[in-house]
Amino acid sequence: MYSSALACMVTHDSHDRSPKKGFLGSLGRSVLSFDHKVIGLNYLWLALSSVFLGMGLSLLMRIHLVWPGAHIPLAFGSASIPARYTALTMLHGSLMVFMVLTTAPQAGFGNYFLPLQIGARNMAFPVLNLFSFWATVVSLFGITFSFFASLESGLTLWVASVALFSLGSVCTALNFSVTTVDLRAKGMTLPRMPLTAWAWFLTAILSSLIFSILLAACTLLLSDRVVGTQFFGMPQLSASAIATPSWQIVPILWQRLFWFFAQAEVYVAMLPCLGIVSHLISTFARKPVWALRAVVLALCGVGLFGFCIWGFHVFENGMNPYAPPVFAIVAESLGLPALILLVSWLGTLWNGRIQLTTAMLFAIGFVSLFIAGGLSGLFLARYDLAEASVNDEFIAGHFHLVMGVAATFAILGALFFWFPKMFGRLLNESLGKAHFWLTFAGVYCVFMPMHWMGLLARSQAAPGSSLAYASAGTMLRKFITVATIATISSQVIFLFNFVWSLRRGERNGSLNPWRATTLEWSVASPPPPDNFGRVEPVVYRGAYEFLVAGGGEDFLPQNLAPENVSLSEQASFELTDREGST
Amino acid sequence: MPGAPVLDDIVIDIEDHGGRGGGSGPPPGGDDGDDGQKRRPFEPPSPRRYYTGIALGIVSILMFFMALSSAYLVRRATTTQWIPIHLPAILWVNTLILLGSSAAIERARKRLLIGDLPGFRSSWLITTGLGLAFLAGQLVGWRQLAAQGIYMATNQASGFFYIFTALHGVHLIGGVTALIYVSQRKIDAKKVPLAVVADVTSYYWHFMDGLWIFLLAILYLGK
Repeated sequence: MYSSALACMVTHDSHDRSPKKGFLGSLGRSVLSFDHKVIGLNYLWLALSSVFLGMGLSLLMRIHLVWPGAHIPLAFGSASIPARYTALTMLHGSLMVFMVLTTAPQAGFGNYFLPLQIGARNMAFPVLNLFSFWATVVSLFGITFSFFASLESGLTLWVASVALFSLGSVCTALNFSVTTVDLRAKGMTLPRMPLTAWAWFLTAILSSLIFSILLAACTLLLSDRVVGTQFFGMPQLSASAIATPSWQIVPILWQRLFWFFAQAEVYVAMLPCLGIVSHLISTFARKPVWALRAVVLALCGVGLFGFCIWGFHVFENGMNPYAPPVFAIVAESLGLPALILLVSWLGTLWNGRIQLTTAMLFAIGFVSLFIAGGLSGLFLARYDLAEASVNDEFIAGHFHLVMGVAATFAILGALFFWFPKMFGRLLNESLGKAHFWLTFAGVYCVFMPMHWMGLLARSQAAPGSSLAYASAGTMLRKFITVATIATISSQVIFLFNFVWSLRRGERNGSLNPWRATTLEWSVASPPPPDNFGRVEPVVYRGAYEFLVAGGGEDFLPQNLAPENVSLSEQASFELTDREGST
Repeated sequence: MPGAPVLDDIVIDIEDHGGRGGGSGPPPGGDDGDDGQKRRPFEPPSPRRYYTGIALGIVSILMFFMALSSAYLVRRATTTQWIPIHLPAILWVNTLILLGSSAAIERARKRLLIGDLPGFRSSWLITTGLGLAFLAGQLVGWRQLAAQGIYMATNQASGFFYIFTALHGVHLIGGVTALIYVSQRKIDAKKVPLAVVADVTSYYWHFMDGLWIFLLAILYLGK
């Protein structure tokens, strides 16, 4: 109804400006801009290139597993194959965890949309924001090139790059936290904040704590490697420590510091995705988030518990023997916030008028993957049980399902959701759906068998089982590899859709094609540099005011003044008032 | 953009283009534009963000040093052949210097509160000077240890000593840079009040002081 009046506004394109100002022209504007939207978009490009590089590496690994004799140019070269394979794994992991999972949902979408969703003009510290981005870019180059260097210098370069990445992340986290605390628009109280903003905020708090620790650990390691100190080196052992084999003693300190960071890191990767999924499900079910405050508490719970369970990675290394049950209990307790989230998603979907857009498909796919991967997590939290029953392949299957795929689905859902706002065009829905179904089937085919292989490895069900394991294992391994090739190939559909839609996608006819409630949908697509213009937006209600019955629109935008809500909408809104409203 | 210290030769063009970004169009529901009265212009950014920012920054730096300290304590507890190093005496002098600089920065803030700008400037200068003296004293302490043949890689105790003092020193250099920046900036040219900047810098400075005392304590007690 308002789209016609605003159709002329939707093609605002900051790069159309005449390059009078700025000594570097449009390139300078895009790489040296302090605009949070430009920085966020740049992070997304970084994540996109990293994810394809990481996928290519995983393909190399799978091919090598099944056909060890295959000669793959560039990947293995003249260095010894086992060392190169480990390097490949490390590069794949670093790229995916640091450059995709930590970057895209938080630094990418968060930078772009946090200020928009809370009604701010920019992040609290734009210069720091730009610094963080460039620190991340430099660390990406460092991490990638460390693969091609010799082993020792490559590792040193890797550690230095990760340290730089940690510094960038701490600065980003600082920016996000201060922005959320201090830059909210009038009326945007914390309960009215969208769940995405909540998730970004909680992730930022957690990030600022854990990346400092990683930075410290990397500093000590770098000092060991470069200066020759012995922070992690062979110590002179105390009497009690001598009893433990020395090969286990040496890495203890590093492991403790590292896992203190790394276990919490996976929740840092997950939290924004949880927020995005809740947001998408509510928007496309046209219903408020079920048990909104419980969801916020659950997100806090995930962050808090995630911070406290690092110990279950270091049981074999001289930890107090009373520690395992403590860590296991806390880790299992993560099931509680996860359950709250799950029930909320299902409760939101229940009786909703579900619109199966591609973004919604990815969100629901996330729920499926989260359950599948999360259940095995509950099992793995019982260290004694897990150690006896499964090998590492099961763990690989678990974390790939939750981090590698579920989180990626959330990112893709966010992309399909916010693409119209960022670029003023729509991604093709048919291609998107085809891509979704192929990927969804594909990732289950890739990662579920890994669970079975993990179980098989420890299975003693029948005599001669090791032989059965070998043949079943080979078959499964081949199956996984074939599925990997198929799934990665189907990403071409997404890539084509993305690139094509950037240029030729259907133009966004309205500001708010999904009829969502949050503030970013009230501005042009893409938003102007100062987001809201001269006038500060005012927020009157929570973020999930969807109506089940009533004439006219079935949603109330956050910034719609009460006197502008038509009487019939008001009446129906009061009739169907529910917990979602504040 | 308000609040953003934009480089002079890269300007983000934020002029209002005929209400395109400004009005953002009428909200759904057929508004006739009256609600413009309720929407206020963007106020200049409140300085609260700097207080929140420095608080969170201090927490992050604290976590960083806590990780290092816990590494130190774990290492100290699990080795039998810990060869303690003798802390150079100048470290105690440096501690007093740093405490003096904290007192000076507090005096500077009080002067600013009562509007005594020359008094503020002189106290601020004293703080900066004492901060630089501390750094110089740390270097002297390093030289003294090196003269005894104790370098970073000599043993674990020396490694921790050097890395603690080095990392604290790096953060202190950041603090001194901030002090110099504050003394050089023009008072009215920026939108952030001098009192806010001085406050925020002083919080960081006191934190550095307290951190140093903590690090010295565990180095000394762990000998």
